[in-house]
This record gives sequence, structure tokens and C-alpha cells, in this order.
Amino acid sequence: MPAVQETIDQVRQIDVDQYKYGFETHVEMDKAPKGLNEDIIRFISAKKNEPEWMLEWRIDAYRRWLTMEAPDWARVDYPEIDFNDIVYYAAPKSQTGPMTLDEVDPELLATYAKLGIPLREQEILAGVQQSKVAVDAVFDSVSVVTTFKAELAKAGVIFMAISEAIQEYPELVRKYLATVVPVSDNYYSALNCAVFTDGSFVYIPKGVRCPMELSTYFRINEKDTGQFERTLIICEEGGYVSYLEGCTAPQRDENQLHAAVVELIALDDAEIKYSTVQNWYPGDKDGKGGIYNFVTKRGDCRGDNSKISWTQVETGSAITWKYPSCILRGDNSRGEFYSIAVSNGRQQIDSGTKMIHLGKNTSSRIISKGISAGHSNNTYRGQVSAHRRATGARNFTQCDSLLIGNNCGAHTVPYIEAKNSTAQFEHEATTSKISEDHLFYCMQRGIPEEEAIALIVNGFVKEVIQELPMEFAVEAQKLIGISLEGSVG
Amino acid sequence: MNMQSKKPITAAEQLLVDSFVHNLGNLPGDGAVLTIRDSYIEDIKQRGLPTRRVEAWHYTDLRNLLKTVPSIGKSADIEPAERLIAGANVISVVDGHAANIAATGGVTATAYREDLSDGSAAARMALRNSDDLVGRINGAFVTDGVKLQVEDDLVLDNPLEIQVLHGGGQAHTRFPVTIGKGVKGLFVERHISCCEEDALVSSITDLDVGDGADIVWVINQEQGLSDTHLGQINIKLGADAKLLLFVANAGGKLVRQEIHIVASGEGSELTLRGVNLLGGESHTDVTMTLEHIVPNCVSGQIFRNVVLDRAKGVFQGQIKVAQIAQKTDAKMACNTLLLSDFCDFSAKPELEIFADDVQCGHGATVTDIDKNQLFYLKARGIGEKRARSLLVKAFIVEVVEELDNEVLIEALEKQFETWLNNHG
Repeated sequence: MPAVQETIDQVRQIDVDQYKYGFETHVEMDKAPKGLNEDIIRFISAKKNEPEWMLEWRIDAYRRWLTMEAPDWARVDYPEIDFNDIVYYAAPKSQTGPMTLDEVDPELLATYAKLGIPLREQEILAGVQQSKVAVDAVFDSVSVVTTFKAELAKAGVIFMAISEAIQEYPELVRKYLATVVPVSDNYYSALNCAVFTDGSFVYIPKGVRCPMELSTYFRINEKDTGQFERTLIICEEGGYVSYLEGCTAPQRDENQLHAAVVELIALDDAEIKYSTVQNWYPGDKDGKGGIYNFVTKRGDCRGDNSKISWTQVETGSAITWKYPSCILRGDNSRGEFYSIAVSNGRQQIDSGTKMIHLGKNTSSRIISKGISAGHSNNTYRGQVSAHRRATGARNFTQCDSLLIGNNCGAHTVPYIEAKNSTAQFEHEATTSKISEDHLFYCMQRGIPEEEAIALIVNGFVKEVIQELPMEFAVEAQKLIGISLEGSVG
Repeated sequence: MNMQSKKPITAAEQLLVDSFVHNLGNLPGDGAVLTIRDSYIEDIKQRGLPTRRVEAWHYTDLRNLLKTVPSIGKSADIEPAERLIAGANVISVVDGHAANIAATGGVTATAYREDLSDGSAAARMALRNSDDLVGRINGAFVTDGVKLQVEDDLVLDNPLEIQVLHGGGQAHTRFPVTIGKGVKGLFVERHISCCEEDALVSSITDLDVGDGADIVWVINQEQGLSDTHLGQINIKLGADAKLLLFVANAGGKLVRQEIHIVASGEGSELTLRGVNLLGGESHTDVTMTLEHIVPNCVSGQIFRNVVLDRAKGVFQGQIKVAQIAQKTDAKMACNTLLLSDFCDFSAKPELEIFADDVQCGHGATVTDIDKNQLFYLKARGIGEKRARSLLVKAFIVEVVEELDNEVLIEALEKQFETWLNNHG
């Protein structure tokens, strides 16, 4: 079935040339020279005032990275990246370290205001409908400000820039850093270890339910820079946290690299909910410019009964290479992955997830909706595996895609690996498997089939999107109405 | 890690190269064919056998799995096997050499060796792509086979059964088959081991189905417990052609069965059904690609796998729909029963879609026998063991019964039942 007009219009509204966040902020910047070598890494480490062990760790990662080759298995196509033509550190001159709001350059605050990110706590509180969200604002290579720190500290929650955490809580960082994504896990994770500049650190102590949503807003601003964020979230026994990230960048003709590593650790009975609205600059209609988003995100359900849930709404980036995954190590642990990926123009998306079942009675659920339009290519690539000892492993995977127009592509590449007879894996990529009962119920009440399917699919999507905080919901809401009738796998 | 280095040649790789050198004098072919053979062996020497890193061989790491290669033996005296279907006309190839190619009315059969000798086989020997190892090994070693031509509008009264028999050692065969326009009939391709000695078998069938033909093609792989079987079938479907392809694997130690289909004529209809019975310590890989390159074609595929003991099963299925192939209806399902704690199964059902007005889907399940079904039978006084075997049988029979030929269904069911009984 071809897409209905309503869907086509909705997708057009978020087309690449409609990018709203393409402006540039002019502040005086403190930059490292272009190029990648051990001196640059020493420069970054010194800028961040890091302890010696951190520098050694970075240098070791860099040396390993030198022996590796860029991955070529994804369905994305781009010219070779010249890693010596990138600026690895850029920060506003006025920003000498983490600051209070009053010290921050007003120009920067104006930028965030323009992006719709409230940084002043009283403003956030003034908003009647808005729920309270603590924000860590990362501007190029530095965290500008983190809000609600005091209030969070009262609950025992640590929420700060990772560069700050390395100073203040070195034992915690040392204990958990790179334990989920090893340094040499892949090419871009090794690069990230060597040159990461900032990102967020979250620690939820035992039995604490984080009193508010936490979020980080990433902004690439400076020309020729790459952003290398590092996020580490640890949720102790019985804790709960919901974390969100958003990202935008100015409109430029050159491609810029964003290579992040995100690690989540959930101990016994803990739950981490991680949501992303990814809206990096996607390049123009002809595929000029845009962000290369090469990201490694992985969660480790280390404790029994733990749960990690990834939600992503992907609309930006020229190229997306991203597989938020769950290692289900603890018994009865659960992993979830919900994704809506919309590609337009010349965008290329190769995204999906991995669910690695290691513990007993683990379960996972994957729901992926891909929508491709224009000349874009949208690939779902996912892996579900059950280890020999992972008795009772269960997985349900559903990936649907929709093509709008005749010049785009939609691809599905699932890897299903069962080494255990008690595993129960189901994978489907059809629309026909939408609950017949639901469909019948709707149609019986006079709703045409196509609308009924859209209604059912959106009913699910909505549930996910509604859990995003307000400032992200604006973009995400545009996607809610997109019907997925006529889906192909 | 992405570190690359040239790997040392393995024992099996060396044996392949050696057996080529030793038998060069016995391999038929003119200059062009011999040049191709040389280049394929050189490829194997340079690139080695594929590993996990080669995407097409992701779950079948041949470099590790293929431990040894038997030498090319002398032809033994082998009698044709009993027909799968009574009354079928039999064509047989023994140890890589055409033995009985008696033609029947409307079907022309010639030895493929002739094509090799006069060089007309050269064009056919081209590789599918750079990862086509089956094509490479077969191309280097192929000795004979049968070229079949079925004349237009022929309706075959009796099935045609092609028996590919071997008595150990190596056997490499190729079967170019041209089905004329409007032909109707049933064809059975069987790969049978006649002894307990190790064997390395490669066999490629090129099946060209003419416009409006309506045929059933059955591949039945019944190799021995220690055999390596590398099979490939390359299919082209003409306009409005109908093909029911049934692929059964119930044998072999290391099996790679490739099925490559191009729906190149508008209005064609493909039904593909597969049954894979995997036991012992075997490794069986069924890899399928289906390309829709014209509009208005229908394809449906169902694979049923039963995995026992320490067996490993692999299914890789890829459906590609080109931009022009609007109104394609392509469905693929792969259902697996894992019946032991030591077996495993990996599936990779891929879709690659470039047309927007299509209906494509795939489903894959891996699970044990449904507990509710088991309870239902047990509640009716059927013992656990018998209930399980009934359910396993039902799981397979569901796809066999679509064959619409009583005699064939009965023959296959009997064969599968025997296999299941032998494997407890």
C-alpha cells in the first residue's frame, strides 16, 4: 500500500530543508589546533585537569585505535574521514569550568533559550504544565551548566558533567568507566576513549528513585570540530532513573563528526530508562553537510531483576550508525528498545539494537519503526542472541518500515541466534501481525482498515513518546501522527 | 577488533590445492575453462576459505569447520538408488561422471563434460560474486554433470529423477537445465551417499524456467553422516512462470545449500518450501537470495527446521526488491524447533526494499515444542514421547503437504519419519 497524503505531509514538515536549529552562536572560543596525536590528547587531559591515570588511559586507547580499521559492514556510504582535519577541543573562552548560571555567558544562555531548553530553574518551575527536568547543557567540548544539582544531591543523586565527576568521584568513575563498552570494542569507541571531552555522569544510590527527569542537551556549534561525548549512568540496587538526551547543530556545508559512547549499568532491581531525540543537522537536500553520528550505546543489566529501556526518535544526522544494546546478565533482567527512525533527503540510517541474553529467564522486546523518504536509506540491523545457559530467554521483535516515494530504500537485517532450547524468539516484520482482534474491534466500529492500523500502531508509539519530557516532545509529536499503514518490513 | 593480517593456509585449504594439482590432467576443459579453473584455485590460495568476517558466511566459518578434504577417488561400481517416486525416469551421475543419461521424449540430456571440453561452459562458470565459494570450488573441480533441455509445451507424464550418487572421495557436478515455455512437470534432484567413506561434494544446478511453465523441483539432500555437501541452485523465472521449489536437507556433516532466485519475468509465482532435519554434530547452512527485478511477482517461502543433538543450523534469507519491482508480494518465514540443550540455530532473514508499493514481510521463530499443544495431547492419554514426536511430525508435514502430489508427499514423509525415528 502506498502512503496516504497525511503521512506524506507530516514527513515533509520535518524534511531536511526545514531544519530549525541551523543557526550559529558567535562567542569567543578556546580551541585546540586541528589534528589528532598524543599531544592533543595531553592537551585535552590538561584542559580538563585530569588525574594521571586518566591521561594514561586515554593514551592507551589512542594507541589501540591506531591499530584498528573503520568498520565497513554498515549500509552507509561516505568518503573516508580525515581524522587530522578535526578540532578535538573547542570551548567558549568564558567557560573555564562548570559554573553557576549567573556566571555563564549570556550569549550561551540565549542559545539554549532559542533552542527551547530552559536552564533557569525558576523559569522551569514557572511553566505550569512542564514537569521538572534537570539539564546538563553541553556546548561543543564543555558542559556549560547543570541545573538542579543541589536538589538532586539532597536525594543522594549525583548528576554532573563527566569531567567534573572524574575530579570529584574518581573511584566511582574508575570502577565503572569502560566496563560496558570496552576501550577497543570498536573503532569509534576507542577514538572516543582517547579524545572524549564531556558528557554526563549520573549515579543513583541504592533504593533511590530519582526525583526528576535528568537530561543532557548536546550542541555542536564551532566549525570543524568533532564532538566526543561520554555518558556514564550507574543505577544502584533498587534505584530508578529516567534520562533523556537531545542534540542539534548549526547548518554547514562540511560534515562534522559526533562519536559518542554511552554506558548504562543497572544493578539488582534497578531500572534505567534512556530516551533520545536525535536531531543533528541532517545536511541539505543534495546531501551536502550534516553530522556523522557514529555512536556506541550499551546498557548492562548487571543485577538480577534489572531493566534497561532505550527509546529513540531519530530524525537528524547525515549518517546514523547507532545500536543501543542491552546485555541481559542478571537473572530475570529485561531489555527494551523502541525506535522511530525517519530518514529524508540523502540521509543514511543504519541503526538497531543488540539483545544479548546471558542470565536465566531474561526477556527483551524490540519495536522498530523506520520511515524513509526522499533519496534516503533506512536500515534496521539487530541482533538477538541467547547463550547456552540463558534458559527461558524470551524475545519479541517487530520491525516495520514505510517507504514514501520511489527513490528511497528500507532494509531489515536481523541476526537471531539461539543456543538454548528453552529460548523463545519471535521476529516479525509484517503489518499482518498487528493483533487481528484489535483490528477487528476498530473496523467493527466503522474505522477503515488503513486508519485502524495507523491508530493501533500510533497508540503504541504514543505511549513511548509521551514519556519524553516536554521540550523534546515538540519534535517527537510531529511524528506521532505519522501513520504506518502499508508498512513493509 | 579490526586488525587484519594474512592468515596461514589451513590443512584443508592445502589439501584442496594439492588435489587440484594432482588431478589437473583429469579435469576436462579447453584453454578458457582451464584458465578459469586455475584462477579459482589461485583465489582459494590467496583468500583462503571464508571466515565469519565474510558476511555471506557469517554463521558458517568454513575455514574452521572444514577440517579435511578427501582425495579424489576412483569411480566405484554404484547401482542407481531406488526411485523416490515409482515410475520416475531416472538420470544418474556417479562420482562426478554422467552414468545414465537416457533421454525421454521431449527431454534432451547431454553430458556436461562436453560443454567443458569445447569451452562453451566457460561463460556459465562465472562466479556470482567475490564470496561465491561454492562456485569457486565447483568451477575448479567440476568433472561432469548433465545438461537438460525440456522442449516447449511438454507435459511430463512421469517425474524426472536426477540421482547424484557418490561412493566417497570428491564429486563435483553441474546441471544446466532449461525448461521450455509452458512446460509442466515434476523434477527431483537427489544427492545420495552410497557408502560410509568421507566425501566432499559440490553441485550446482542452473534452472532456467521458461515463460508460462508450471513445474515442481525437489532437492533432496541425503548425504552420509561424514560428508561435506556444497550445493547451489541458480534459478531464473520467466514471465508468468510458476515454480514450487522444495528443498529438504536430511544428511551430511557440513552442509551449505545455496538457493539463488531471480524473478526476472513479470507475473511469476514462486513457492519455496524447505525442511531441514539436523542431528548429530552436523552443521547445516541454508542460504537463500531472492531478487525481484520486475513488477507484479509473488513469492512465498516457508522453512521448517528441526534441530537435535549437538547440531547447528543456519538460515540466511535475503529478499531484494528493486525500485522498478512495484506490486511485489514477497513473504518469508523460518520456523525452528530446538529440541536439545546442546543444539543451536541462527537466522538472518533480510529484506532490502527499494520500491514503495509492495507487500513484503518476514517472520522467524526459534522455540521448543509448544507446551499447550503437548498438554492437549497428553490430556488425551498420549505419552510424552509419542506426543512430542507427533508434534514434530506435524510441524514438518504442514509444509510437505503443499506439494500436491500424493506419491511424492508419501515418499518424503516416509523419509522424514525414518530420519526422526533414527534420531530418537
